[in-house]
Amino acid sequence: MDKSTIICRCEEISLEEIVEVIANGARTFDDIKRLTRCGMGPCQSKICNCLVAGVIHEQTGMEFHQIPLPRMRMPISPIKLETLATNSTTFSSVKSVLDEVELEDGKVK
Amino acid sequence: METSYETIIIGGGVVGSSIAYHLSERNKEGIVVLDKKFPLSGTSGSTQAWVWVHNKTPSWYAEFSMYSAELYPYLSKKIGDVEYKRTGGLSPFFSELDREKAERLAEAYEPIGIKIKVLSREEALEKEPSLNPDIVGATYSSIDGNVNPFRLVDRYMRAAKKNGVQYSTYNKVTEIQKLPGKFIVRAEKGRFECKNLVLAGGTWSRELGKLVEVTIPINQLRGQILVTEPLKPFLNYTISGLRQAFNGEVLIGYSMEEEGFNRATTLDVIQETANMAIHYVPSLRKAKVVRAFSGIRAMPEDGFPILGKIPGVENLYVAAMHSGVTLSPLVGTLMTELILDGETSIPIDRYSISRFA
Ligand SMILES: Cc1cc2nc3c(=O)[nH]c(=O)nc-3n(C[C@H](O)[C@H](O)[C@H](O)COP(=O)(O)OP(=O)(O)OC[C@H]3O[C@@H](n4cnc5c(N)ncnc54)[C@H](O)[C@@H]3O)c2cc1C
Ligand code: FES
Repeated sequence: MDKSTIICRCEEISLEEIVEVIANGARTFDDIKRLTRCGMGPCQSKICNCLVAGVIHEQTGMEFHQIPLPRMRMPISPIKLETLATNSTTFSSVKSVLDEVELEDGKVK
Repeated sequence: METSYETIIIGGGVVGSSIAYHLSERNKEGIVVLDKKFPLSGTSGSTQAWVWVHNKTPSWYAEFSMYSAELYPYLSKKIGDVEYKRTGGLSPFFSELDREKAERLAEAYEPIGIKIKVLSREEALEKEPSLNPDIVGATYSSIDGNVNPFRLVDRYMRAAKKNGVQYSTYNKVTEIQKLPGKFIVRAEKGRFECKNLVLAGGTWSRELGKLVEVTIPINQLRGQILVTEPLKPFLNYTISGLRQAFNGEVLIGYSMEEEGFNRATTLDVIQETANMAIHYVPSLRKAKVVRAFSGIRAMPEDGFPILGKIPGVENLYVAAMHSGVTLSPLVGTLMTELILDGETSIPIDRYSISRFA
């Protein structure tokens, strides 16, 4: 592979960029992802996952079974917000910052 | 690897890395950052990263946050592009009761130099046309903004390394011993010695404190965030609840759950977060979510930063807080002053761990 070979197609991240962050101490797919965005694209690393594992193996000598898989996150494929929404406007876990402003005797606490 | 240092910082998140960088500007040698994993594996890699000031309470905490926000433009000049953008911050509200709060807030913050405008519905919609037309109004301040947290920590780390700071990662600290004039720090990859020890373990601070028999009252508070596909730039401001990043993604979320260290994402909170997004910005309805993630806040028992010397143990320091992204430039600056000069340019007594005693 040439150093300009694209490893992550979604985010256009080259081999060179990945090698560089590994040289800086990154060891897992998630370390590399946070530093380069490799794996954060629409396919959510389905395409680049194995390629990255190969680069980690080559650069660090770590065995494939020792390389942790990237954390798979919901949704597994892109989904519209309206599909997730239930159209309710009562919130419990989700707050508004003004909820945190409290008044006491007509003054901000 | 050499094992004797002037200063060891435990934790390489945004707080520990900012302290390392600021310290290295003045002290080129003898600094090492130890991290049990890798910087960004903690809370700093799973955050909204608003640089947020205007409706923090009480006023002294807002003022402290403002000083930090004001350091951002200079910081980005020094360490490189961190995609900091002072967009201004909007907090929409949907009830007259909130307008009352907003008015009082604006009055109270005027004297400390935080300018808050309480916008009418029309003014808010003029500023941010995508907001829900059902809003009653919004608070606005030009001081707020946001930053790319990945770049921020990466740049702190690179700048610190350039100044001679070492990072020893995948190296969990398991034991700390205090001897006269020095600490012995045992970690997975070996034994380290130092004069000054800084605990910057974020949400793990309580565990870290136990190693020196100090109670650091930090609890866990989970937050879940949804990320959309990149959309063409359409949000002008950082809205408390959602923001659009440089690459067009919209990050949505302001949830709080006491779930310990469990970093799962859950359908109920994802649904509520989707409801919030559509309630604030109805056109997001059609946007696709590509990712959900969760982060564990480091939440001090009373909500405010725990910062400064640990009384009773010479040369032991702590820096643990929520809103560490907003506060990191100031915290790095003040901790450096405290370690090297013994005093800070802005008082931090209020944030001392001794308040819990
Ligand atoms: C959902 C969410 C949204 C948020 N939004 C914002 C926001 O908009 N604006 C804002 O300012 N803040 C926000 N925050 C808070 C902010 O992200 C945190 O305050 C900040 O990241 C804390 O940084 P830190 O360096 O203290 O912690 P961390 O990044 O967690 O770093 C601590 C480090 O210590 C290391 N460590 C722990 N124990 C040990 C040990 N024994 N040995 C070695 N290393 C150890 C860990 O590996 C870790 O890397 C948000 C947080 C969440 C969860
Ligand atoms: S190829 Fe890397 S995220 Fe799609």
